[in-house]
Amino acid sequence: MRAARRPGFHGALAVTLLLGGCAWDAPMSTVVPRSDFARDILHVYGIVTWVAVGIALVVGGALAWVIVRFRDRPGAPRLPAQTRGHTLLEISWTIAPALVLLVIAIPTIHVIFRTQAAPPRDALEITVRGHQWWWEFRYPTFEVVTANELHVPAGRPVALTLQGPDVIHSFWVPQLGGKRDVVPGRLNRLTFTADTPGEYRGQCAEFCGVSHAHMGMRVIVDAPDAFARWVAAQKAESAELAGLAAEGKAIFAASACVGCHTIRGVSSGALGPDLTTFGSRHTLAAGLLPTTVENVTAWLKNPPALKPGAKMPALGLTDDQARAVATYLIGLK
Amino acid sequence: MSDEPRGGEHATVGTYVRVALVLTVVTALEVGVIYVRRLAPIVVPLLLAMSAAKFALVALFFMHLRYESRVLTFLFVGPLILASGLAVALMTLTGAFLVFGR
Amino acid sequence: MSAPSSGRALHGHPSALPGAETTATVLGWLTTVDHKRIGILYGVTGFAFFLLGGLEALLIRLQLAVPHNTVVSAHAFNALFTMHGTTMIFLAIMPFNAAFFNYMVPLLIGARDVAFPRLNALSYWIFLAGGLLLNASLLAGTPPDVGWFGYANLTSKHYAPGPGVDFWILSLQILGVSSVIAAINFIVTILNMRAPGMTMMRMPVFVWMTLVVQFLIALAFPPITVGLIFLLFDRFFGTRFYDVAAGADLHLWQHLFWIFGHPEVYILILPAFGIVSEVLPTFAKKPLFGAPVVIYSGVLIGFFGFGVWSHHMFATGMGPVADSAFSIATMLIAIPTGVKIFNWLATLWGGTIRTTTALHFAVGLVGLFTIGGLSGIMHASPPVDLQQTDSYFVVAHLHYVLIGGSLFGLFAGAYYWWPKMTGRLLGERLGRLQFWVIFAGFNLAFFPQHYLGALGMPRRIYTYPADVGWTAGNFASTVGAFGIGVGVLLFIVNAWQTLRRGAPAPADPWDGRTLEWRTSSPPPAHDFDAIPPVYGRDSFWREKYGPRRGAPATESHAPLHVPAPSHWPIMVALGMGIAAVGALTHVSFVVVGVLWTVWSLFRLALEHHRAQAHADQTGGLGLDHRKMAMWVFLGSECFFFGTLVATYLAYKGRSVVGPAPHEILNIPVTTISTFDLLMSSLLMVLALAAVQRGDNRQARLWLLGTAVFGLIFLGFQAYEFTEFVHQGFTMQRNLFSSTFFVLTGLHGTHVAIGVLWLLSLWVLARRGRLGVGDAVKVEIAGLYWHFVDVVWIAIFTLVYLIP
Repeated sequence: MRAARRPGFHGALAVTLLLGGCAWDAPMSTVVPRSDFARDILHVYGIVTWVAVGIALVVGGALAWVIVRFRDRPGAPRLPAQTRGHTLLEISWTIAPALVLLVIAIPTIHVIFRTQAAPPRDALEITVRGHQWWWEFRYPTFEVVTANELHVPAGRPVALTLQGPDVIHSFWVPQLGGKRDVVPGRLNRLTFTADTPGEYRGQCAEFCGVSHAHMGMRVIVDAPDAFARWVAAQKAESAELAGLAAEGKAIFAASACVGCHTIRGVSSGALGPDLTTFGSRHTLAAGLLPTTVENVTAWLKNPPALKPGAKMPALGLTDDQARAVATYLIGLK
Repeated sequence: MSDEPRGGEHATVGTYVRVALVLTVVTALEVGVIYVRRLAPIVVPLLLAMSAAKFALVALFFMHLRYESRVLTFLFVGPLILASGLAVALMTLTGAFLVFGR
Repeated sequence: MSAPSSGRALHGHPSALPGAETTATVLGWLTTVDHKRIGILYGVTGFAFFLLGGLEALLIRLQLAVPHNTVVSAHAFNALFTMHGTTMIFLAIMPFNAAFFNYMVPLLIGARDVAFPRLNALSYWIFLAGGLLLNASLLAGTPPDVGWFGYANLTSKHYAPGPGVDFWILSLQILGVSSVIAAINFIVTILNMRAPGMTMMRMPVFVWMTLVVQFLIALAFPPITVGLIFLLFDRFFGTRFYDVAAGADLHLWQHLFWIFGHPEVYILILPAFGIVSEVLPTFAKKPLFGAPVVIYSGVLIGFFGFGVWSHHMFATGMGPVADSAFSIATMLIAIPTGVKIFNWLATLWGGTIRTTTALHFAVGLVGLFTIGGLSGIMHASPPVDLQQTDSYFVVAHLHYVLIGGSLFGLFAGAYYWWPKMTGRLLGERLGRLQFWVIFAGFNLAFFPQHYLGALGMPRRIYTYPADVGWTAGNFASTVGAFGIGVGVLLFIVNAWQTLRRGAPAPADPWDGRTLEWRTSSPPPAHDFDAIPPVYGRDSFWREKYGPRRGAPATESHAPLHVPAPSHWPIMVALGMGIAAVGALTHVSFVVVGVLWTVWSLFRLALEHHRAQAHADQTGGLGLDHRKMAMWVFLGSECFFFGTLVATYLAYKGRSVVGPAPHEILNIPVTTISTFDLLMSSLLMVLALAAVQRGDNRQARLWLLGTAVFGLIFLGFQAYEFTEFVHQGFTMQRNLFSSTFFVLTGLHGTHVAIGVLWLLSLWVLARRGRLGVGDAVKVEIAGLYWHFVDVVWIAIFTLVYLIP
């Protein structure tokens, strides 16, 4: 099921086209494939790019040459030959593009069916639910629920089922493949096998309201044993708390927080992200900021100030209270 | 001057009345057919065919297309066919034909 | 002003103003029905909106120039890109195209005006109403902020509670009406009013492209009209069309939108292709290479343009079969487009090219559209598109085809036809400078966006982080955008300077090939002193240099008729505007607006009826203009009702709660009303036959009879609706109720309009004002009536009978 590897091809493509190969290794780059899905796509992407660039150079070159060669200058015929057409030429330049398109069409159809085939039976099933403006991830097999940071094992097929309780969103992690819309009322599927452990960035790609720009996500591809450890950590009992963290937990449990958020053993709100292992995530508020005490504190004090339209209101916490809760949340690993 | 159809052909009042009669009969048949259980498996194509026939009769005779320039037929039938094709495509894409099978 | 006249006395000499009517007053412009003046109105109005849309673009680019910028808020940014897109498409490019259609098409085909000059004015004023309404949302502080394609269910009342989306819906509907009326007008004009000897294949390519565009408009707008009606009803009346909980399919909106949206992009580009097909031959001094092939390609593009819409939906999960089908269809469309480009190249090859500004822009289009078209081919492959769609890559693509394509083509047309329209030449040196500034600015603004997209920058985001590598590309793009702004300013300077002090233009400044160069610059009010002879394609060139195909038809010296100005078009548009404002404020204004509109339409129609010169409107094909127009309109209505019926059937069986059709529809009673409507058609043909033989008594009898039968049908429908409501089956009940009431309700509205029409004809007959010469007016009422009957035949079967 894996695409034929053509490293030389992609290398040549990167260098030739892109005037600086390193520039393409940006976090959201669409031409740095880290899964079978992404590789399959890049295979076709390379073909269409070569074709497009080639045609552009030929046509552009011909255009420039024609203007220069036949411009009106002393000695040019006052009335050039009034050629009306040439049937053979018309036929040729109708058939030629058709053949070129065939070169694009065949791998296209092939990859469409391959990448949309039903996932293998050993695929890890994950349900993705897109909300305004955060991502919910559920692992039915493990009974784990988390948000905004998706962990997947390397080398094992992952079958995402995309659902939406509110508006249309789009799940896009470029280095792991193309995007797929989250459409309320429908179940869409996205299947891929990530090959390289690492952290990958994604973002919602269908305009979904005020903070569409702030609906990011992180995908952590773990080596199989690291993934198993992560799953275990998700289900583990929380440690006993002391000091500021215990204070923060008390404030949390007594505040409106419990109406929206779930922390296993503490609260069971279902309107906002599950925070049971919030501290283990590298970013908060759907990839908005790195998870540090300062950032979490600022967020807790006034979410809409950082993320316009955020449904989480400012709860009127004092600086100290916010810091306490932040310490508690960051400790939730 | 007033419009004379090309070719001098013209539908007579008699033709119109006959068409109206056929339309009545076919309508009655359409309504009748849905109550005949034995026709149930083919009732959909049957109804479509009958209403298409009525559609054609009104267009050809009442709307005079049979006697008119081909340009007018093209101006109407072209979009009609295109619209029908798009309607079928839309229904297919939204999964309507799965419903028809139930 | 209200006294009817059969025309106005002619003044044979052109005056200094374009359009050359003798009344150069404000009132003259408000009541003009002259295609040249209407063209200028479209051009100037479009330009004002273009500047507004450009300002919106510059604000967008300023906000995105650096990461985490704070020039505008997220709310404002989302409104900006919504308004920018909607404005540029509907209020800038389309009116610019309309400006050229209006001014040039009659001249190019050797006609003196369009088929329906007052409807032509009506289209303009309705367009203005729509454009003002959309921008009124800015004044109200509630612009729409859902993107120019407003995907459901983000546009629902729940997720977009303010009036912004309502402004957007209402203005788009109004703009749609304007466009479709104009489309019918131009189709009849082009088919029926060509000078003798001008066969279809001898028409200039710009006219061919215009013809294709008008068909696209007439057929593609109905689906979006229906989609917007669904959204309007959901928001205002609580129907369920886009209500997921009720079983709706959110893809429905996308399908309806893009069934319109894709032909719309061809509506935007084909006129530019037409302009280039005129400009290149003129300045290369040789004919368009492969003109018939270029024409056929345009027709094929238009036709197949209806078959590719879901290539905008490759990421939505339609399944591999649908993806593949639309992918292949999209690639196929690239072929005729490529063929055009090759033919343009071959036109230049071997020519003697005069590098005027118009030529610069035309050549610019060929190059830039090639780039835009190639990125389009990349998008045609779904796997690749899954990375590119909804990213800046597609933003780059669309701007290459819309600016590099449409706008450059329009500038070419502006420089080319400016002397004809104004009697002055635009400055060439400033023009060439303007070209290079815009060319450089444009490429700097949009080429980097391909890279931004490839680096994963999604579209419609008001800000971005600093650590994703998007900063440099965005900054460059912003600089380029301001370059475009400078280029536009240079055009304004050029236009301003030359309007006053530019070199006066002769009739034929470019040694042109087509008929418009045969008359003065600007043309007289009546366009041509005598209808020009047609010697073949590029007729004027042949007249000057040969070869001439056969003797031209004898020059027509029939009495010239210049249609009288009218204030009813602006009144109709005003009424529509009031009704729309009422929908946003208070229902009393809706009532006032509707009554005002209907009254003004009546007066407009009566004006036509009284003008004796309008008795004969037979064109070159031997067909009456009005009859042809009605058939085109009915073709458009096939799309309107086809969409409604398709939605009904698509949603059948998807309702989450009952009742189902067979539980509530009353077939026996509806059979009677069906029979009644069928018989009314019989009465209608009897009425027409009576009018045609001058039998006023019988005409009155059958006209009234038809109207009465129509009222009976409406009575049955009223009974049915009230029964349903009593049983708790309201419009809001479920998907079935929503689709049922809207479909049959809109059909009933059509019947009601028909009844009003028939009663008006009856009243005219009673007053002895419906003679044999007016038979065609009864005929077209009949065509409308029979069509409404035929739609009911379909509805009766598909809604009531089919299990």
